[in-house]
Amino acid sequence: MLNIMLTGVGGQGTVLAAKVLAQAAQEKGWHVRTAETIGMAQRGGSVVSHVRMGNEGEEVFAPLIAKGTADMIVAFEPAEGARVLPYLSRDGMLVTATTAIQPVTAALSPNPYRGAHIIKQLVGAFEAEPDRLVIVPDAALLKRVGNRKALNTVLLASAVSTGRLPLSVDDLRAAIQVCVKPAFVDLNLKAIDEAIF
Amino acid sequence: MTKKLLMGNEAMAHAALEAGVRVVAGYPGTPSSEIVETVARLHAAGKAHDVHVEWSTNEKAALEVLFGASLAGARGLFTCKQMGLNVASDALMSLNYVSVRGGLVLVVADDPGPISSQTEQDTRRFAAFAKVPVLDPATPEQAYAMVKEAFDLSERFHTPVIVRPTTRVDHASAFFDVQDETFALPAPEAGFERDVSTWIIFPRRAYEAHGEINERLPQMAHAFSTEAAFAQFNEVITACGDTPTFGIMAGGISAAYTREALRMVHQRAEAAGVDMPPYRFMQVGTPYPFPADAVAAFADGLGDVLVIEELDYVLEDALAAWAGRNRVSLTVHGKLTDEARDRGENDVDDIASRIERFLGLSGRIRLRLRESSEGESEQAGSPAPAVSPETLPVRPPVLCPGCPHRGAFYAVKQALRKTPAVMCGDIGCYTLGNAKPLEAIDTCLCMGAGITMAQGLSIVDPGKKAIAYVGDSTFFASGMTGLANAAYNGHDITVMVLDNATTAMTGSQPHPGTGITLMGDRNQPLSIEAVLTANGFTRVYHADPLDKDSSIVAVKAAVEFEGPSAVIFESPCIQLIKPKVPVVVNTEICTGCKKCITEIGCPAIAFDPSAQGMRSGDRGQAVIDAALCNGCDLCTQVCPFKAIVVPLSGSPAEGGQDA
Repeated sequence: MLNIMLTGVGGQGTVLAAKVLAQAAQEKGWHVRTAETIGMAQRGGSVVSHVRMGNEGEEVFAPLIAKGTADMIVAFEPAEGARVLPYLSRDGMLVTATTAIQPVTAALSPNPYRGAHIIKQLVGAFEAEPDRLVIVPDAALLKRVGNRKALNTVLLASAVSTGRLPLSVDDLRAAIQVCVKPAFVDLNLKAIDEAIF
Repeated sequence: MTKKLLMGNEAMAHAALEAGVRVVAGYPGTPSSEIVETVARLHAAGKAHDVHVEWSTNEKAALEVLFGASLAGARGLFTCKQMGLNVASDALMSLNYVSVRGGLVLVVADDPGPISSQTEQDTRRFAAFAKVPVLDPATPEQAYAMVKEAFDLSERFHTPVIVRPTTRVDHASAFFDVQDETFALPAPEAGFERDVSTWIIFPRRAYEAHGEINERLPQMAHAFSTEAAFAQFNEVITACGDTPTFGIMAGGISAAYTREALRMVHQRAEAAGVDMPPYRFMQVGTPYPFPADAVAAFADGLGDVLVIEELDYVLEDALAAWAGRNRVSLTVHGKLTDEARDRGENDVDDIASRIERFLGLSGRIRLRLRESSEGESEQAGSPAPAVSPETLPVRPPVLCPGCPHRGAFYAVKQALRKTPAVMCGDIGCYTLGNAKPLEAIDTCLCMGAGITMAQGLSIVDPGKKAIAYVGDSTFFASGMTGLANAAYNGHDITVMVLDNATTAMTGSQPHPGTGITLMGDRNQPLSIEAVLTANGFTRVYHADPLDKDSSIVAVKAAVEFEGPSAVIFESPCIQLIKPKVPVVVNTEICTGCKKCITEIGCPAIAFDPSAQGMRSGDRGQAVIDAALCNGCDLCTQVCPFKAIVVPLSGSPAEGGQDA
């Protein structure tokens, strides 16, 4: 069983990213289920997408990932990655974006939330096993891609290129071409190329 | 046939179309909205032939439209969220007595948690109350199969049928083979046929009909146990031996969680070298009428049964009643015995530990695992990476950057200043006006209640101005009776209509005020002003919520009037329009006073304590996130120093906001 959790803030594109992973799993002939956060939380709240794949031929019964069983967490926002760490398995990996999104509650507080603080805490949390944490310089990569909307693809490509998942960059490319509207395929393929080098 | 990744809601829409549904109607509500939207999309794409699909004004209207279609012999699909059934219940209770002709299926989506709702009510209970059968899917695949079976069941027994998915079935996805094109079943050529002894509900007919209902319910219960089409939803699995005394019964998504949890318990027991006792598992996919024969087969030889379900203890009650009636000696464990969560969502981890406890395994597994790890290095016991939750920003849902509601709330607060007032909110995005720093609403109950609650408050607490906020879709869905009541009974209230030209919270659905229908027609939009005037509101003002000063003037005028008055704030939802040029902070002017943040709380405005400028010293400065800002310009009107500006290059008239 392969469990991948995608997390971020409403509007960042986790839903499409989950679809792309599901498509890649389907191409492999694996049973797959996904679950989304849709509704009030999409208005700037924390959102989580679950992707569960029976990569050893198992049947997937439930769509949600249990605590301590995520093989990989892909965080579109660092504090959201930190928030769902209890879901990470003992040898799971966290792939996180660096750019923080400051909620209004934090802007109102005397000590506004800074992404750098969370990244520092994450580095500390993974001190014993630093290879389980991948910090993606999303701002720089997206500048090269030329469109911030490609954040989801940049993160997926970063996650796949770690080699921790039984999915290849070519699997990702193929799935993107099925799931993304034709007008945006080239942009997303470019995002993959920028993320893996 | 095409293989597609479909959400449960999309799959149910396909199922209804494949079953030949002719009329589809509902009212948006999370987590149900995507069913009607999918039908509309397939219809617009020319793939769903002969179907009529609509967003009705509210749930009651939708169900009554469908009942008319049913009497003419067509198949109909109704969709809503759990509380929507409260609105439609008047129609449902009676139409079950009248009995249906064309198959009538109600998909009512429950929301354990609740994630996007006011209550955790259980539609399975509602079904039993209404004496209507209910099917309860554990997966999107079952939801798809159940919708198809529901149409046949409905026509066979002349009964409405409820299919009750929950959020995690509605919004979970799996791959489906679906038909590329569908055709509605033609209704009988004669159409509606007059039959006064059946279609008109009089007391004598109701008495007769009640007998018919009482007769068909046990027949359906029998079918649920014995016919393969339904028995597949009441599956029994025996494991770890042939003569179990332990049973586990589950319904809905909890049945899927329980199977996952059982797999986890097996793995843990195996790792610990502990034997699992024999047990039997049953999913009850047809909770009402209770499939007694299938349950009897499940319960044979059992002494204890743990029941896992969300929301109410429906299966737990039904199982205990069945055991009592049949003198079966069975101890039923569940919510009522504090052995299952009494509310909120279930999850796999929690169910697994409850099953271990129920089967008497917890202590043994923990002991064995501890013994086996003692010999190993300390490494295995090192703590998992964690970040303490207190250091993480809380992230409640908020009004979007540029949301016109923000301007309306701000204008009302500015107009009232220290005038005592009660702000009655309602259901929609604008409920989010409760949060800091706006803190603009004081109450929220149910669709349309703000307008009428304000009237009750004005009677008893006349010292406070009674203000009611209502969105445009809610206005048409449930607001109009309250307007008439205010004028008729002479209540002094002011209604703030937040008209953003869509049903925003549920994903931008059209409504009567837009004139746009799901069939692609553009009808004359209903005028909110005309409705207010017709309902006796003699003072109606218009305002652009993103124009601060004129909005404040409009609010003052309306509030000062004694008697029912209204302000219609008109500005489209940001999801409907192209963003304008993001504003910027002039770092030479910004003093770091934070007023833009503390007054309106826009998510696009953050505070950078390390930013330095001529007038801000080391206080820090406001910063605009250009990726979030959509250029609504409200903050430029709020900043006392005019430090937030529309950049010259993108603006036709900088400073024009003052005009």
